[in-house]
Amino acid sequence: MLNIKNLYSGYIKLKILFDINLEVPTREITVVVGPNGAGKTTLLNSIMGIATVFAGEIILDGIRLKNAPPYKVAQLGISYVPQMGNVFADLTLRENLMMAGYMLSKEELKNKTDQVLDMFPVLKGFIQRKAGTLSGGERRMLAIAMGLMRKPKVMLLDELSTDLAPLITKRVMESIARLRDELGITILLVEQMAKRALEIGDKAYLLVSGEIKYSGKASDLLHHPELSKLYLGIKEVE
Amino acid sequence: MFPPWLAGGLVYASALSLTAGGITLLYITTRTFNFAHAGMATFGFYITYIFYSFRGGNLYQYLPLSFLFGSLLGIICYIGLNRPLLRRQASIVTLMMSTLGYDLILLSIIQMLCDYLSYTFKLYPRRVTMSAYDFKMFGTSAASIISPIIAITILTLLHLFLTRTKFGTSMRATIENPILASASGINSDKVYLMSWVIGGGMAALGGAVMSLTMTGTPVMGMTLIAQMFAGAILGGLESIYGGILGGFIVGLAEYVGIYYLAVMVGPWVLGYRMALPLLIMVITLLLFPRGLAGIQWSYLMKSIKRARKGVKS
Repeated sequence: MLNIKNLYSGYIKLKILFDINLEVPTREITVVVGPNGAGKTTLLNSIMGIATVFAGEIILDGIRLKNAPPYKVAQLGISYVPQMGNVFADLTLRENLMMAGYMLSKEELKNKTDQVLDMFPVLKGFIQRKAGTLSGGERRMLAIAMGLMRKPKVMLLDELSTDLAPLITKRVMESIARLRDELGITILLVEQMAKRALEIGDKAYLLVSGEIKYSGKASDLLHHPELSKLYLGIKEVE
Repeated sequence: MFPPWLAGGLVYASALSLTAGGITLLYITTRTFNFAHAGMATFGFYITYIFYSFRGGNLYQYLPLSFLFGSLLGIICYIGLNRPLLRRQASIVTLMMSTLGYDLILLSIIQMLCDYLSYTFKLYPRRVTMSAYDFKMFGTSAASIISPIIAITILTLLHLFLTRTKFGTSMRATIENPILASASGINSDKVYLMSWVIGGGMAALGGAVMSLTMTGTPVMGMTLIAQMFAGAILGGLESIYGGILGGFIVGLAEYVGIYYLAVMVGPWVLGYRMALPLLIMVITLLLFPRGLAGIQWSYLMKSIKRARKGVKS
């Protein structure tokens, strides 16, 4: 389980998150939603050691991560798929997967590459192509595939639906649900497209201006009469 | 085989390509404009000179030692200066100024070394003509043949390292997206250290090669630093290959260009030799600020072909 306690974090001297308490239970999808500029990406960056943690604790299965460098956090089993720049555009797909599985042995790398390509067969045809030539949807698939290469305990997914067509977004969300259901991976999903994310999520947090305004079941937030309209732009719930 | 002006030009251009490639590598990995390249290049020359003076033999056999010593200077610069500043998220200006300080330290050490060699071993290290110790090959100086081979070999090895090895690929990944690379488990610290090892080595090797076509002095690197940067800027500061090519073009243009200018307008123009690389740098920054690497060559070639067809019809 990933635990965040009384977290204050930001960049250099700028504080962005204030007193964040958050739990990411094992084998569940925890969704963090909120408007633009709420600090959602900073939350993930704080876990990964990219943002500065001023106070508080980040604990993964009893190990404290506070301000550990990103490569050490990755070695502990946390896999981060950022919103922007989530693939190496100048590298081929094969090289991207190789870099994603940097910590694996040669044999493990080969097995894992075959495994993720079976999960995302659409990528098989482009294996020698540069990632920069892929479409938006294919890039997201590659980004998730890269996240899986690291044999993660926890995956941090940052706004994977941005700029994607609704049908592609649906497919990406289905892939995320499969990661939990079939591979048993713990997921912390940050999303602005709140409705889709809350539909597949188990637990949810609403982050506004760097503070948690709601925590509870994802379905409850989706059906919340005020918060869903006020902060998430969900007008009607089917 | 080559006329003297071309033979010298090839040595000079090869040396500049090595140094400009190193400057580019350090910039794209650590955002550092390394002014200590001057001192590293000079040290490279002195390592070859010292070993040749004491052990004799073929002076080319000492070039790898120059490379290794340059790498050592790069490691010291990274661990002592660059890494602490990068961790404090220092600005590009701070990083650049720190290397200028390091260069002054290197220059002082070189001066002390020269004094030591003069007083203790009765050598004359303050004005050294290394070309006097060179040998002939196919009727021309060996340096004019070996220097381009060295530059091409380094370029090939670098290319193989960057594209065929896991660590080399991780360097390219870190250059493109350091955050994603780090989040993938790549230790960017090791990547930056390796870039200083290679960059420092290339600087020192470039300095050693450079001394085969010009008089080696304690300030040799300092007088060439503008040319090194001109080459890196012409290359575009985005691609190591661009930097190496840029250095070669600047070197050849300066050496050969000044020869032709002297023939055409008179020998007085030789005093303005330094202006040529600076002119190239200014033209590059004004007309194509992303340098050779930023030019869309396929588009340019198509445009030229189209224009030719238009003229014919």
